[in-house]
Amino acid sequence: MQIIKIAMLIAFCGIGAVQAEISVIVNPANANAVSADDLNRLFLGRASSFADGSKATPLNLAEGQVSRDEFDSKVLNRSSAQLKAYWSKLVFTGKGTPPKELADDAAVKAAVAADASAVGYISSASVDGSVKVVASF
Amino acid sequence: MFKKSVLALATAGLFTFPAYADLTINGFASIKAGMTMGSDEQLYGYTDDIDFKNESLFAVQVMSDLGDKLSITAQLMGRGREDFNAEFEWAFLSYQLTDNMQINAGRLRTPFYKYSDFKDVGYAYDWSRVPEAVYNLDFDNIEGVSLYRTATLGSFDSTLQFIAGSFDGDAVVTGLTVQAKIDQILGATWELSKDGISARLAYLVGKTSLSNADVDGLVGILAQSGLSAVASAIDVDEENSSFMGLALSLDKNDWVGVAEITRTEVDDSLIAEQNGYYVSLGHRFGSLTPYVSYEKRDNDAKREITNMLPQGVPVQLLLGVSQAVDRFEVKRDAWNLGLRYDFHPSAAFKAQVTRVNNDITNDDASLITLGVDLVY
Repeated sequence: MQIIKIAMLIAFCGIGAVQAEISVIVNPANANAVSADDLNRLFLGRASSFADGSKATPLNLAEGQVSRDEFDSKVLNRSSAQLKAYWSKLVFTGKGTPPKELADDAAVKAAVAADASAVGYISSASVDGSVKVVASF
Repeated sequence: MFKKSVLALATAGLFTFPAYADLTINGFASIKAGMTMGSDEQLYGYTDDIDFKNESLFAVQVMSDLGDKLSITAQLMGRGREDFNAEFEWAFLSYQLTDNMQINAGRLRTPFYKYSDFKDVGYAYDWSRVPEAVYNLDFDNIEGVSLYRTATLGSFDSTLQFIAGSFDGDAVVTGLTVQAKIDQILGATWELSKDGISARLAYLVGKTSLSNADVDGLVGILAQSGLSAVASAIDVDEENSSFMGLALSLDKNDWVGVAEITRTEVDDSLIAEQNGYYVSLGHRFGSLTPYVSYEKRDNDAKREITNMLPQGVPVQLLLGVSQAVDRFEVKRDAWNLGLRYDFHPSAAFKAQVTRVNNDITNDDASLITLGVDLVY
């Protein structure tokens, strides 16, 4: 048992670089502050605008991306199965559609850099000057 | 997520692309097998022979975004108990009035219960089926219009829905097959939630007319016998009807609890006041969620109608009236013990054992159900 724990710990450290923190990013032209509550509402379809009233377009990373799992558990506090159940309640009643999904960090970064209304998240290591970081988790 | 946008490939990356008719196809399915555990026992359409069809269903939903805040949604569903003949479960137009307000018009799900909207989407909840003691009104869908509004009240999330419409079709009321017409349906539901705790209130009213050959025959005989007061106390002819429901739920620290209580009344008719409630508690252990629930239905027949009959009426008539009235008496409760296992990102395996005690007929029954619910 102890050996398994140690092995898991080592494995964890090994993927530590991949598990790095995530940064929530917006377009550099966007001056809004974005709190964890705001992110919850935007990414769960309960709000669709920033604090100043301008339109917000949340962008998800594709399922299976490490940062997606991090975001789901750290920011939305839900497992991917819970989130799927949550969205199925809205989708199959015509009350909402989940945020658009993009394949990887590069796609999210490019989309956010090109769209003043976009808000997404990527691994902090992928951040560059084309986007603005408003929160890290 | 499970969105499959037909044009997504063609438009990937083109965020400034103008509005186009974007087609989104989603679906869900349940494949369930069940059998009662004793010979001669019957429950929810199952017998002691294993059955794979009764509660299985397949559905496809197509949403077309017509641009300019207008979209159209249609859901086609085939149920095993109807030989998988696909029907439009609902089909409606949606118009986004503001960011937080939407109007839907067409065939809509009647928002009686907390899980009304997605009771067919097994994946959306942990049980094998929604509790029958509460989810038994057979007017699932109505034709009408609905206003749906989400808001933030302080730190609470609020969801308000208004609905207006009518129902016209066959239905089953406490085991009696009727032709039903409900006009002037008006209703409101309000759900408040915060940090995994939520409360939902629903109130709907309407004018109900039900027709059934046996009941209509009895009403005719009573009217001809000069007992028009009794006839009118029995018939269901544009009667004021109301539905009230309260639901509380909790989803915190991996505990999942839900309770719901409902009351349905159809004034001036033989339909008994219908009361039901359930309480359910589960706990998530990673991908495993075991749960236990208790449900109860308690409807008192309107015996006062039988007492309206004067002394000396023919025994046949007395018997006819009392049987018609008494059949709406329901006293039953059930325990459910089950497990949900999220074995796949889009599918859950569920097993549930149900034990029903019926105090009127003394028909107790136990049912085991196994199945897979998925969304795609």
